[in-house]
Amino acid sequence: MNLLLSYIYYLFLLLLVISAVFSIASKNLLCSVIFMSLFNLFMVIIFLLLQAPDVAMAEAVVGMGFTTALFIITISKTKEEEK
Amino acid sequence: MKYYCVLLIAVLSLVLFLSLQDIPVAQDLMPASSHYVNSGVRDTGATNLVNAILFDYRGFDTLGEATVIFASAAAFKMLFSHKRIFSFRYGLSPIVKTGMGIYSPFIFIFGIYVIMAGHISPGGGFQGGVIIASLSILLTLVYGLWYKVRRTVFSPAISSNIESIGGFLFLGIGLTGILTGNYFLSNLDAGFFAGTPGHMFSAGSIPILNIASGLKVAAGLSIIFYSIAGGE
Repeated sequence: MNLLLSYIYYLFLLLLVISAVFSIASKNLLCSVIFMSLFNLFMVIIFLLLQAPDVAMAEAVVGMGFTTALFIITISKTKEEEK
Repeated sequence: MKYYCVLLIAVLSLVLFLSLQDIPVAQDLMPASSHYVNSGVRDTGATNLVNAILFDYRGFDTLGEATVIFASAAAFKMLFSHKRIFSFRYGLSPIVKTGMGIYSPFIFIFGIYVIMAGHISPGGGFQGGVIIASLSILLTLVYGLWYKVRRTVFSPAISSNIESIGGFLFLGIGLTGILTGNYFLSNLDAGFFAGTPGHMFSAGSIPILNIASGLKVAAGLSIIFYSIAGGE
């Protein structure tokens, strides 16, 4: 891959790591789920840069849509407490 | 505990950045990959090589994957079956309901397009099935759970029937290969319509397997979501 594409790739890898750290370190569980959805968004862009549109489509639909909906439903049915 | 996790993420991200240099380029392929790339279109008739590998060369693995979704949907149905519906009874405000009514057909058409064009463009049965399942999730969240029970296509009883139909369609296509004297899930040797590569009606049994897998995934994932949302 050429130099510009390589820099864009590094940028999205950095954003991926930052969103993963925020997803673990945030106190609110809903915030964690939203940051995990953001993690999947950057993952989709990285898959598109690596020329894998099939995997990108599956990751977009499952990671950003279905998993987020399942987590939000599960959080809405439990109490908001953390030890 | 959280700081150990952050430390682990830091170490793993260092490995991630260092492994950028080792991404292989397209000219030095392994023998199996070069066989798929060179003779994939001639063997299967599908121009999307990922789908050709998923549903022709490695069709048996896709059957196992469909079995996993079937087993998880059955387990969720068994765990949450005796609960009653309390939450999401009436849905959201009329503005959201009207907007959802306008753009829900487009989501459904897009899901069907991704399933039907799986052998010629990126996409396939799994991706399109999850798109239709997320339309089912949106209908549940916006209109409430009672609306979904009243709808014919999206109701839970019909959904489990649709999932069984998808599974039996997949198995039937596989057994057709044995009945015509070939191996299980054989494609063009079993006499399916080959067509011209790149056209809509081509690639033998791959579009039919896409439709079966799409029905199965859409119904299974909407059953899972309905079971979780309907439990107390």
